[in-house]
Amino acid sequence: MTSRPIQLLLAGAALHLMAPAFGAEDVEIARLASQVCASCHGPHGDSISPAFPRLAGQNAAYIEAQLKSFKDQTRGDAYAQAYMWGMVAQLDEDTMKRLAVYYAAEKPNPGRPGDPANMAQGQHIFDSGIAASGIPPCASCHGANAQGKDAIPRLAGQHPEYLVKQLVAFKSLQRGNAPVMHVVTDKMTLEQMRAIADYAASK
Amino acid sequence: MKALRDKSGAILASLAALLFFSGFSAQSFAVPSFARQTGVACEGCHTVFPELTPFGRSFKLNGYVMDNLPQVKGMTTDNKEALLLNWLPPVSIMFQTSYTSTSKPLPDVSGIGNSQNGQVLFPQQASLFYAGRIAPNLGAFIQMTYASDSGTFGWDNTDIRYADHATLSGKDVTWGVSLNNNPTVQDVWNSTPAWQTPFDQRSSAAPTPTAATQLDGPLTDSGVAGLTVYGYFANSIYAEFGAYRSSPQGFAGQSGAGPLDSSASNVVRGAAPYWRLAYERQWDRSSWSIGAFGMDVDLFPGGGTALAGVTNKYRDVALDTQYQFIGDSSIYSMQAVYIHEKQTLNAFAGQSDTLNTLRVGGSYYYQRKYGGAVGYFSTTGTTDPLLYPSGTAVFGSANGSPDSKGWIAELNYIPWQNVKVALQYTAYNRFNGGKTDYDGAGRNASDNNTTYLLGWINF
Repeated sequence: MTSRPIQLLLAGAALHLMAPAFGAEDVEIARLASQVCASCHGPHGDSISPAFPRLAGQNAAYIEAQLKSFKDQTRGDAYAQAYMWGMVAQLDEDTMKRLAVYYAAEKPNPGRPGDPANMAQGQHIFDSGIAASGIPPCASCHGANAQGKDAIPRLAGQHPEYLVKQLVAFKSLQRGNAPVMHVVTDKMTLEQMRAIADYAASK
Repeated sequence: MKALRDKSGAILASLAALLFFSGFSAQSFAVPSFARQTGVACEGCHTVFPELTPFGRSFKLNGYVMDNLPQVKGMTTDNKEALLLNWLPPVSIMFQTSYTSTSKPLPDVSGIGNSQNGQVLFPQQASLFYAGRIAPNLGAFIQMTYASDSGTFGWDNTDIRYADHATLSGKDVTWGVSLNNNPTVQDVWNSTPAWQTPFDQRSSAAPTPTAATQLDGPLTDSGVAGLTVYGYFANSIYAEFGAYRSSPQGFAGQSGAGPLDSSASNVVRGAAPYWRLAYERQWDRSSWSIGAFGMDVDLFPGGGTALAGVTNKYRDVALDTQYQFIGDSSIYSMQAVYIHEKQTLNAFAGQSDTLNTLRVGGSYYYQRKYGGAVGYFSTTGTTDPLLYPSGTAVFGSANGSPDSKGWIAELNYIPWQNVKVALQYTAYNRFNGGKTDYDGAGRNASDNNTTYLLGWINF
């Protein structure tokens, strides 16, 4: 039988060993994120250019799924091919998981109100969908506050322009790693996409 | 007859010198081995080569080491990286071919009439690069160039750098050390001389103005090596300091003590300090930078005179700025630089001169495929017949003035990201001090207007 002090010591050692692997104390991943990913995604996943998504506060399962999609090349939108196919080529699954945990723990970017002309239409589609076009309410999967869950991405605080580009890519099947989103966007107009993006990003 | 022969000889020598130097100052950048190493397409680092995007600037500041290729690794017993080599060497080839036509042909070296106009250079320039990671924090951009005018391979732009990160006041600092052979070749903004777009590609077969500040090429042409240390704080504030010392090439076989003997020209006395400060702000799809840089150079004229005693002193201070917008379809950018040079020429006649260079340019690209650029350039300074003498056709100055001004306009077609075709026109309002008969031999500034068609591939 192991004494309690030794149990505590072992538990402490185990936590110490685990810390670098998962969570904010993962120094190796923090270095990878700040020295490589930050070039496009910003120092804490808060990218400046809407060409690159904000990762801060994004759901870990979603980030991990995307990294795997880049690696197996099932996500093939233009920027994915130009940047991410190469960037993830040497990432193993453990590193992907730890990167996902790292960014999920960062503080998400606060949403900002979008184009006032879009907000009302965006809110309507986001909350109620357009039944006639087969567009379900975005909130039904992405949550009332666009926070997402697990492998369903957080949209709140994202660059609206980036969201529009993804909706276009789903529709055109350029981004073919989310068949559900192809169905959702199939009859969606560009104007509707802009409205949804402005509203969801503002949450 | 002797006078004619002397004149022809002078023209030939001037032409040879001009072609030699301009051939090696034609800049090139855009290296497929970086793309192979990172797995990122050219568009990641370049708007259109050679102009760098924010990601490209980051890649360069980080020492060209980002990689996504299988590596040959070596580890120490305490589990630290002792070797990190790409499985395949990061080697690339660049090939440029061109057609050049001046408004009026250049004088024939025989002194009778003019030479044939419409020069095809195949290649104009061909380069072999080693560009990529060398060790965990060490990378290099090394360019060897064959220039058709000299018919030889020569050492071209080189930047070997170590880079790492530190934290200051909770913010990231990218810091590094660069060993390079051309002041500003290590710079990451395309508003400094080594890589200033759209002025970086010029014909090596057309005359270019004689006067240039030290930062604009003469110092590099005489052969220098520099060591600089830099830091980039929070992706916004950049500071760099270093020094350059003469490093002439091709001295073997000369009499004397070697590379620093008096057979070399324009030898740096001691070391020439170099400094650079810049600020960059990024927002949305835009970035804007403003900066200053400068150099203090003491040069022994050499060329047969002892490398001792008085020197010619050059103090260059420059301001530069760049704006970029990188959209999915449209990309536009603007670069400007102003260089002021104070010359105290104690090794000549003790005169004090100034030279001021301004270049402003802008470019637009659609879909990174079709583009155009326009730029204005001006170099003005103190009239000094000793420094800018008359008596040489095309390259002389009848009034001793260094002033040259003009415009450059180009159209670009980039069928693939590593292939560029450019049609460029350069128009001179003033050349080596004058608009008409500037050389005293009847040549007008506009006679040097140049049509230049460039084909450029990298693989």
